[in-house]
Amino acid sequence: MSATDTAVVPAAPVALLEGDTLSLKVGPLGRTDFVRYAGASGDFHPLHHDEVYAREAGFPSVFGMGMLHGGILGLHLARWVGPVNIRTFSIRFTGQVWPGDELEVTAQVERVHEIEGVRVADLRLAVTRQTGDEAIRGSAVAVVA
Amino acid sequence: MIDQSAVGTELAPVSFPIDRSKLAELAKSFGDDDPVWWDPDAAQTAGFDGIPATPTVTVLISHWRSGGVTGLTQAIGADLARVLHGEVAWEYLAPVRAGDELTARQVIKDVSTREGRRGGAMTFITIDTEFTNQRGELAVRRTDTLIERGA
Repeated sequence: MSATDTAVVPAAPVALLEGDTLSLKVGPLGRTDFVRYAGASGDFHPLHHDEVYAREAGFPSVFGMGMLHGGILGLHLARWVGPVNIRTFSIRFTGQVWPGDELEVTAQVERVHEIEGVRVADLRLAVTRQTGDEAIRGSAVAVVA
Repeated sequence: MIDQSAVGTELAPVSFPIDRSKLAELAKSFGDDDPVWWDPDAAQTAGFDGIPATPTVTVLISHWRSGGVTGLTQAIGADLARVLHGEVAWEYLAPVRAGDELTARQVIKDVSTREGRRGGAMTFITIDTEFTNQRGELAVRRTDTLIERGA
């Protein structure tokens, strides 16, 4: 898995307009990525690394933690709008991510408006599998220039 | 099995450090090798006051709660093998940076049951967490919805 972005992570609010979009591909994700995230995050739920446990629980194989692709989405949101400019971030897990999946991370500015004199963007977010199935649907509010 | 009687239960508070080694591991696990997420000079060059954290940084609490994620599931009385993560929402009130010390206070806010699409009752458990930093500022408010699938 590699999605290294050469752009500088913005510290100050970024100029964004309604309709601006971010779209990038991530993956394929594999069991090694799940295990690496388990070690990084401390999420050792066996459904995500123990194949025998996952099958006994009724799943075809292990699958990725929602917070792995949720974290990937958050990372790319932060790279786009700046980590310290995010005010809210909400995600709903709408489907699982399986070994071998390639993901598309998308963000779109739905509206730019002011809250108490501060310019903010309402963003619509998604993580979509190569099958077209959505794994995450989300939203965020970020301070923009 | 968890039921409505759990609503209002406060979990034991957990304090944990935001240290740059774990920030590096987290960024790299997301496929990002940019040193801005762990190197003080790179962060300063990019214009940050301290090393910034990615939006899901509060997951690091899992290293510090006894038993981690499985410990949390047990603490709320849910069945580990049947629990899935449904939703998460974060509200950011003060920046989280490397070197911070966060204290989390967690409460079970709601427990509700409804019929799943494929039959069997699904139990939705809402947990609210407030993360306060070493200066006593409320830094992050987080709400998780866990789903316990029917037995």
